[in-house]
Amino acid sequence: MNISQQSTVNSQQISTTIINWQRITSFTQRLLSVVCCLLSLISCMEWDYGLEETFDTSASGDGLFICNEGNFQYGNATLSYYNPETKVVENEVFYRANAMKLGDVAQSMIIRDSIGWVVVNNSHVIFAIDINTFKEVGRITNLTSPRYIHFVSDEKAYVTQIWDNRIFIVNPKRYEITGYIDVPNMTMESGSTEQMVQYGKYVYVNCWSYQNRILKIDSETDQVVDELVVGIQPTSIVMDCNNKLWTVTDGGYEGSPYGHEAPSLYRIDAETFTIEKQFEFKFGDAPSEVQLNGAKDKLYWINDDIWEMDVTADRVPVRPFIPYSETIYYGLTVCPRSGDVYVADAIDYVQQGMIYRYSKEGELIDEFYVGIIPGAFCWK
Amino acid sequence: MLEMKKLYLFLLILLPFVTIAQEVEDEIKWYFNLPEVPIYAERPIKEIGVQQTRMDSIVLKENIALSVADILTFNSSIYVKNYGRATLSTVAFRGTSASHTQVSWNGMKINNPMLGMTDFSMIPSYFVDDAMLLHGTSSVNETGGGLGGSVKLSTKPAQSDGFGLQYVQGIGSFKTFDEFLRITYGNEHWQTSTRVVFSSSPNDYKYRNHDKKENIYDENMNIIGQYYPIERNRSGAFKDFHFLQEAYYNTKKGDKFGFNAWYINSNRELAMLTVDYGDDTDFDNRQRENTFRSVMSWDHIKESWKLGTKAGYIYTWMAYDYKRDLGNGIMAHMTHSRSKINTFFGQLDGEYYIGDKWLFTANVTAHQHFVESRDKSIMQIDGNEATVGYHKARIELTNSISAKWRPVDRLGLSLVIREEMFGNEWTPIIPAFFIDGVISEKGDVVAKASVSRNYRFPSLNDLYFMPGGNPDLKSESGWTYDAGLSFALGKNEIYSFSGSATWFESYISDWIIWLPTTKGFFSPDNIKDVHAYGIELKGDLDVALSKDWKLQLDGTLSWTPSINEGEPRSPADQSVGKQLPYVPEYSSTVTGRLSWRTWSFLYKWCYYSERYTMSSNDISLTGKLPQYFMSNIALEKEISFKWADVSFKGAVNNLFNEEYLSVLSRPMPGINFEIFVGITPKW
Repeated sequence: MNISQQSTVNSQQISTTIINWQRITSFTQRLLSVVCCLLSLISCMEWDYGLEETFDTSASGDGLFICNEGNFQYGNATLSYYNPETKVVENEVFYRANAMKLGDVAQSMIIRDSIGWVVVNNSHVIFAIDINTFKEVGRITNLTSPRYIHFVSDEKAYVTQIWDNRIFIVNPKRYEITGYIDVPNMTMESGSTEQMVQYGKYVYVNCWSYQNRILKIDSETDQVVDELVVGIQPTSIVMDCNNKLWTVTDGGYEGSPYGHEAPSLYRIDAETFTIEKQFEFKFGDAPSEVQLNGAKDKLYWINDDIWEMDVTADRVPVRPFIPYSETIYYGLTVCPRSGDVYVADAIDYVQQGMIYRYSKEGELIDEFYVGIIPGAFCWK
Repeated sequence: MLEMKKLYLFLLILLPFVTIAQEVEDEIKWYFNLPEVPIYAERPIKEIGVQQTRMDSIVLKENIALSVADILTFNSSIYVKNYGRATLSTVAFRGTSASHTQVSWNGMKINNPMLGMTDFSMIPSYFVDDAMLLHGTSSVNETGGGLGGSVKLSTKPAQSDGFGLQYVQGIGSFKTFDEFLRITYGNEHWQTSTRVVFSSSPNDYKYRNHDKKENIYDENMNIIGQYYPIERNRSGAFKDFHFLQEAYYNTKKGDKFGFNAWYINSNRELAMLTVDYGDDTDFDNRQRENTFRSVMSWDHIKESWKLGTKAGYIYTWMAYDYKRDLGNGIMAHMTHSRSKINTFFGQLDGEYYIGDKWLFTANVTAHQHFVESRDKSIMQIDGNEATVGYHKARIELTNSISAKWRPVDRLGLSLVIREEMFGNEWTPIIPAFFIDGVISEKGDVVAKASVSRNYRFPSLNDLYFMPGGNPDLKSESGWTYDAGLSFALGKNEIYSFSGSATWFESYISDWIIWLPTTKGFFSPDNIKDVHAYGIELKGDLDVALSKDWKLQLDGTLSWTPSINEGEPRSPADQSVGKQLPYVPEYSSTVTGRLSWRTWSFLYKWCYYSERYTMSSNDISLTGKLPQYFMSNIALEKEISFKWADVSFKGAVNNLFNEEYLSVLSRPMPGINFEIFVGITPKW
């Protein structure tokens, strides 16, 4: 057989098979019946999330909200609520209370006067919810890429952004954007402002992605009045009982045109806005999530393990508070009342994450599943 | 009610066609010809043991608005993950990921070397004359890396005699315009073809957004009411232009020369998510692409041997811009990403027959990629501007030899040995073994089985993307087995009925997954071991119901569990033993064509079972996507005038106006309509 014969479709027919016309018709009828049965399945699709559920958590004392980021571009962020007393967790509470989605990448949450403000980064929105019923009471929309919200007063709050060189000023009562704070020496494309703490009339902001600064903003004039250079990419900021600011850098990454260095933990005096102490980590470490306990005298952070340190300590402890346990910890918080430490494990980032609850002595008390990529916490 | 009005409008549009049809000569011609049923003894020796699905021209040329993604959705067992109308469409072949399907165009690999995958929404089906799916093991005959399989797309000479012209104009819902022009010229030796497709639409279809509610406030900004809004698909416009030039020369003395050049200019907005509360007039989220692909070929064919060589070049420029209005009308860049790819391609292959019992083949293929990726501009500590990105080159070499033996008419054996080199790393030997045999001549019952090893190298982004690329990644590797039975019955000019059932099993190790890091970006790692297995069923029936009536029914049904069998990521990991996210366990398609004289009616139906969105298969409100049924219909009338053949077609997509999602937060359009008018002048 030659190639040209091989490459053409065969042309001969089976002529020996004999099936009469009735059989063909009968078979066709049967096949059409099957098709009709299949077509009857056509209206089974559903895109509906049912009725609104009623919640009332006002009787409980402590309560912990967990912002589950969800997967970027998939709009599957969720909000979980945990009662430390009963050890009961309710997942997807925003969804269930409002019969709608929370959005794409739930970044952070704060509470002010019984209203929870949930910042949903890639949905360009901040939802205001009743912290007992989880029902929405309002929303601020059309933000660029919001990360955190900080209240200056009842009628003024700042919203930090990534991919924007402006901090948005909003009126939380009217759910309106009222203005902007321009950040000097920052382009839109590499814009990044993150967490905020306030000392007197000044708001301090760490600038993270491809940045190395802490900004000082006068909340009366809404102007950046000063800035302090720290290490590469400060990830978070808190203020302790002695009015000292703490920030931890991640040091950048290998090959970054912005640089790659050993990360550090910085203690900054809020009054003088100067670095008082720098605790340097090993090159290649990736510390993050600096947190304080309720008394604000103990500092916690993640660096593979979970670390704890007195705010007056002169050096970083040798041994971790909670050792690394075959996973990558993603989020951290400390109960302001009990001192219990909560650690988030995002596992593979496409399944329900796990929260581990430890006593202040480091004993495991509880563990519970929440949503996808639990990253931020908020205490009621 | 609105839908009924649309239906009436549609029927009203079709009415003139019926009237015209009665006024012109009613030349009876078959809309399709009954396929000829092959005799078992003439199964091509090249295809011993091969599990393949061929898309014929009726399927590919159904209408000009379709992409290959649409064709695969309704005509194959492949799951197409569709991010919306005219947006990214990737495939899961036998439960694998998008980069596990190797795609070639006229022999040249067109998977994006940066991403590893192919966007099938960017391939107009009118630009493809022959499409072949090679399932699992069978892909090793063509290339390596197809852990799920491969898709082979080709163009062919138009076989025209003299000048030919075809023009089709399509107008559809959402101000969609599709235009197709083909000019051909052919003589004894030459065949040339020029094809142009232009598609555009604001693509602003309406849908009820069940993912969000609009608030009604009182004067004190208290919410006094909420409702699910009817929204338009925001920021979803597209303009796609394709140009394809072909020239073929046949010496008629055993030498064939070919030239194909395909240019793509695409400008697509990226639609906003259902959960986006941004004002679409304040944001511009857009992807643009310019791609040029060309292949030259020479085949020297003799009685018992063939030598072929190909050379090709691909240039791709891609831009992604995400901008927002600063409030003064100036759109500032939030993301300004650019990438350029230059690929040079060369191939040499030979075939040698010894009698009609042996075939030996050898193939050497090389792709040399030069990639420049610029993802972001930043301001450095010293105030200078810098770019985050990478600039890399990589050569990809794949060689194979095979021996195919048919000792007796009823038995065939085939052995393929392949080896690949990416950069300076070689895969171990990739063996593949195939066997087929005729079990029964009556009914042409053929049994097939095959086994192969396979490897897939990480893509360039996997290795080098900034930030996050992991140069220490290992190749994914796998073993695949399949076995199946096929049959074919028929009676000339009355009916043909064929079908197949195939069982397959794949074990894939070191599956690459991108995961977030503690530094805020994603990075890939060799995470999972996956066991993908299942059954694929296919059936095709063609019946001449009477002199004038013909029926064609094609169907597929697949059961494709794709299970994570890796080690737990942490003690809390619930994903082990679970179905991979976004891979349906069941899928099915049915296509029915009924023709009467010059009329034809088409019904297309597809089904995907529930898809999990979490690796733990958690059934929560966000953890799954509902099962998916879709029905499309089309009615076509062909009229033959003395001066031209004219065709009219009306199509209805999403016939039952389903509100549905293919991917979370990506709404799909409800019922929509398209009409097409085609003209082929008779010179």
